[in-house]
Amino acid sequence: MMHVTQIQAADDTAVKAPTRRALAKQQTRAKVLTAARRLFSEQGYEGATIRDIAAAAGMSTGAVFANFSDKSDLFREIMITDMAALADAMREAGAQGAGVEDAILRMFTAGYAFYQSQLPLARAAFSVGWSPQDGPALRSAPPVQVLNSLIVEQLAKAAERGELSDHELTLRAQMLFDAYLSNYPQAIFEGWTVDALRERARDQIRILLAGARRS
Amino acid sequence: MRPPRDLTESGARGDPTAARPPVAASAVLAAEAPPGQRRTQKAATRNRVIEAARELFDTQGYQGTTIREIARHAGVSVGSVFTTFASKGEILSQVMQDRLDGLYGELDRVMPHLRGDTVERLRTMFAIHFAFEVRHTRLFLAHIAAAYDWTLPPTARPMGKTPRLQEIIRECLAKGVAEGDVDPRVDPQEIVDLIMAAYAWVYRLAAWHDADAPTMTKVMDRQIGLIAAGFQPRG
Repeated sequence: MMHVTQIQAADDTAVKAPTRRALAKQQTRAKVLTAARRLFSEQGYEGATIRDIAAAAGMSTGAVFANFSDKSDLFREIMITDMAALADAMREAGAQGAGVEDAILRMFTAGYAFYQSQLPLARAAFSVGWSPQDGPALRSAPPVQVLNSLIVEQLAKAAERGELSDHELTLRAQMLFDAYLSNYPQAIFEGWTVDALRERARDQIRILLAGARRS
Repeated sequence: MRPPRDLTESGARGDPTAARPPVAASAVLAAEAPPGQRRTQKAATRNRVIEAARELFDTQGYQGTTIREIARHAGVSVGSVFTTFASKGEILSQVMQDRLDGLYGELDRVMPHLRGDTVERLRTMFAIHFAFEVRHTRLFLAHIAAAYDWTLPPTARPMGKTPRLQEIIRECLAKGVAEGDVDPRVDPQEIVDLIMAAYAWVYRLAAWHDADAPTMTKVMDRQIGLIAAGFQPRG
């Protein structure tokens, strides 16, 4: 019947039109994110302005603001994408570990390898992470929490196996994560290689686990 | 108004009324004064800027303070602020450095008299830190953030790299080795790095959750205890 066909036709355009729009929007977002990633890497978080980012992406500042509420929103989006990929890499690396010490070391090494090629962005991330304004939001972003919980899982599994005691498990995991982060300045400012970072992390993990060892 | 003492001690000082001249007079003085006095003039401007910045940073935060406000508060022109400092970040760096110098001076006096084993001495040392810094945690955070963000001169390092604090911890550990409660086979720098990482974390706790000095000290005590299990000799 005629009206059914009309409804179907209307349905089709209703489905197609937003898809095209959504696609265009997605492409715009991707373009902005690529430009932003480059400018944050080159000029730091404070140094990169929305205007510069818009110009680099070949669009107006208005178009940027139509997709992102502000600069911190833009930066958080980049970080969250990276952190999610990083969490996958770390989870995979940790699963191959022989024992808790090796597992955590493999996780950390995967992290250092991940950021080795984009240290300027890591530097910008540290800046934002320490900032009194934007730090809490970045630090409590779900993917960052996932990284932390990966360490908790490793310690909990080791406790189940009887390899470690679960004494101060949460604090110990937090300290391991902070030890992992604390080595980044060596890479950013002193040019440490992934191998050098791994050797340092190996000792740090050993020290932090010493008190939980069952012997 | 009396100039700061270190200025008086730093050498010949010009007319005392030049200590806080209006902007125009300052420019004239700088132009006409002989080289020695010009240096003194520059030092006076520098001190006034730092003093003004310290007050403004403390009351309205680093982000909330502009160079223009600092200049107005110091009674100097914006231009003369920029002839002395390259950026707001550099002013912050100097303000924090002065503060840390005061803290380390106090620690130098106190540390040789601390009793107890290495763990207790480390804990006391950080308790002193937190009592001293708790009023300025957000400012310290801003300083660390700025050091990562190009806004500080390349020589500036995040607080975690503060060499003097690391030296104090190393001295504490060396004493522990001599007294037998620190394993001599442990690399002291690794312990220093772990303690600094713990310290940094406690800092965020303070800034983001408004933890007070006793709360910071309590968390740090637990972290030092956990690290200590890794440096105490195994019997």
